[in-house]
Amino acid sequence: MDFRFTEEEKAFRKEVRDFIQEVLQEVLPSDWQGVDPGPEEEAREEVYQLAVEIWRKLAAKGWIGLGWPKEYGGQEDLAKDWILKEELIYRGVPGMDMAVVQGDLILQFGTEEQKRRFIPPIARGEVKYAIGMSEPNVGSELFALQLRAVEEADCFVLNGQKTWTSGFQHADWCVLYARTDPNAPKKSLGISVFLIDPKSPGITMRQITQMTGLGAFYEVFYDNVRVPKENLLGEKNGGRAIAMYAFGIERSYGLVVLHNARRYFEQLVQYCKETYTNGQPLAKDPVIRNRLAEIAIEIEVGRNLGDRLNWMTSQKILTVLPSCQIKVHGANVAQRVASLGMQILGPYGQLDEKSKWAKLGGRMKHTYLSSVALSLAGGTSEISRNIIAGRVGLGLPS
Amino acid sequence: MDLAFSEEQEMLCKSARDFLANKCPKTLVREMEEDEQGYPPELWKEMAELGWLGLPFPEKYEGGGFSFLDLIVLLEEMGRACLPGPFLSTVVLGGLPILEWGREEQKQYFLPKICKGEAILTLALTEPSARYDAASIRTSATPEGDDYLISGTKLFVPDAHIADWIICVTRTAETANPEEGITLFLVDAKSPGISTFVLRTIAGDKQCELTLEKVRVPRGNILGQLGQGWEMVKRMMEWAALAKSAEMVGGDQQVMEMTVNYAKERIQFDRPIGSFQIIQHYLADMSIDVDSARVSLYKAAWMLSEGFPCTKEISVIKGWISEAYRRVAAQAHQIHGAIGFTKDHDLELYFRRAKAGELFFGDADFHREVVAQQLGL
Repeated sequence: MDFRFTEEEKAFRKEVRDFIQEVLQEVLPSDWQGVDPGPEEEAREEVYQLAVEIWRKLAAKGWIGLGWPKEYGGQEDLAKDWILKEELIYRGVPGMDMAVVQGDLILQFGTEEQKRRFIPPIARGEVKYAIGMSEPNVGSELFALQLRAVEEADCFVLNGQKTWTSGFQHADWCVLYARTDPNAPKKSLGISVFLIDPKSPGITMRQITQMTGLGAFYEVFYDNVRVPKENLLGEKNGGRAIAMYAFGIERSYGLVVLHNARRYFEQLVQYCKETYTNGQPLAKDPVIRNRLAEIAIEIEVGRNLGDRLNWMTSQKILTVLPSCQIKVHGANVAQRVASLGMQILGPYGQLDEKSKWAKLGGRMKHTYLSSVALSLAGGTSEISRNIIAGRVGLGLPS
Repeated sequence: MDLAFSEEQEMLCKSARDFLANKCPKTLVREMEEDEQGYPPELWKEMAELGWLGLPFPEKYEGGGFSFLDLIVLLEEMGRACLPGPFLSTVVLGGLPILEWGREEQKQYFLPKICKGEAILTLALTEPSARYDAASIRTSATPEGDDYLISGTKLFVPDAHIADWIICVTRTAETANPEEGITLFLVDAKSPGISTFVLRTIAGDKQCELTLEKVRVPRGNILGQLGQGWEMVKRMMEWAALAKSAEMVGGDQQVMEMTVNYAKERIQFDRPIGSFQIIQHYLADMSIDVDSARVSLYKAAWMLSEGFPCTKEISVIKGWISEAYRRVAAQAHQIHGAIGFTKDHDLELYFRRAKAGELFFGDADFHREVVAQQLGL
């Protein structure tokens, strides 16, 4: 047994940290407190512009798609791919786009022509991707989706609605899940996946404002939208396999959540060291020490689970079970960090980020609200528990 | 990174599991809870023959020369089997400090005896304050000629009633700093002035009240340096907490497996209860507790074996497993229903051991305080 990173991995981590230092100095504002990956950076226009700049820098480093095959610009190095993600997310640096994961799908299911057409622009940091899965009546039950795709002579015609489409306003492409066979014997057998251009005629969108006040998600309406046949990904009616694969490669989502929470936690620890009450720092209060340490332990055991997950990935061992475990644990931890943070900040916790009285940049209020979504997004904690309990996990009967 | 067992560890794990499944049935576990000695001497002898008692000691002392991580693999299986007896006391609390700080002649005297199963050792640390801090050490050792006279009361001393030798933590000097003036002695358990009284405890293990009345110990039996004992005790507490965590992880894993199996077999409302979503979700959460504990155990043990500082990692696992095992065992009872609550069912053995393990060498609050210090709070 050996928990050490290789020398090469250590050197790469240092390179990433140097890169982040450079980005913090040259691109990001001096009072940068970090943002959450994904929805938050998409929703704040000023942050999004920075994210695009950083995304290009990552491309220039050759760091987009590090896990991909060499012939498509990758290094076939999943360990490095994770190190990069972990460091960026922990430091709250924007720019980790979802396109990489969509690139994985294209590499797995696309035709050679599709790979040559779609992958290089991702690696160059030129395109953003959105994902069209959820619908108003389709949350956890993806295979019940209703958005209809009808095959015509030269194209498919789409009609229906998607929702919770993250970053659609910026996307160059959207990986869309649609129903091509409404009469299939099982719901899951009549689904196909398309690469659609969000600027296609017939597409309209409406921003959804979340309780954080941010509008990261969109309702997207498809009204006779024509998609060329060459944009079908995989087989017609073969979307089930793609969806399952997509869930599989989301394996690190729980770790993303955990490392993002780690930043908030460390800010909170710092606050407790620096904030005095009754002549002594909050950090000396036995109750506060105990609660902070409790969460520190939860973060550490989560990181250890993450080491195990990453090692299993490197060994090509099936990771469905540990990734679901981390998904549940990560969301729990993030919510507990937020809850404890608000408790420790007391009345200051409720203040808006712009208030001159706000502590920790008002970020604790943000994460208190935004972390509610973490046990929902990317598969609810309940769905994750179902998977842990099921055939690939504990083997409990259905 | 490589998180797999080595081939040797795989073999150790498998042979230990098979051996204990065969030699340590739950009938024996229950019998030993009531037994005055609390361990079966024949089994102890067999464990010595298997090389278990000498596992972490160098070959020149007739040990196996294995690492702490290897020892953890074995302890995990012992926890899984609820193995009774003085293994942890002898090997971890007694043998390892002698290996680390003993003079060569002390090592040559004690370690081969431990390896061969000829000497049972333990550590007498806590006193009636029941706290793991230096200020609580009131047992005194006062010089008289070439000897010291030790007097005081030690409480919760594991296996003292069967020990041949006891490492006794004493106070040899009073200064403003309670961590100074602490000295460890190797005390012959048959010395005049020693009496032991076995306490009845929740897990039926054998913890003792140990009374020392002017027990005469030669100066040469000091372990380590006079007055420098507390630094040693701190290290020993870490080893003990880690070793106990391994037993607890093994027990935790066993409870998990028993409960998954039960949920698959137990039929109510014409279906296995494991098909009900709420039971599935209980078990899913239990699996997170178990799997996160196991990898955290290995991380700390690996660091210790590699010689890296790991105070924080040890407190992370002991702080975590102390609560995780209790949660898992309690949830297992809920899933088993009334049958698990009976004395005949194995589950109750684990529920009681989960609590005892939690209390041994620092509960979750104790270790959270260590983590808080490590965070610089």
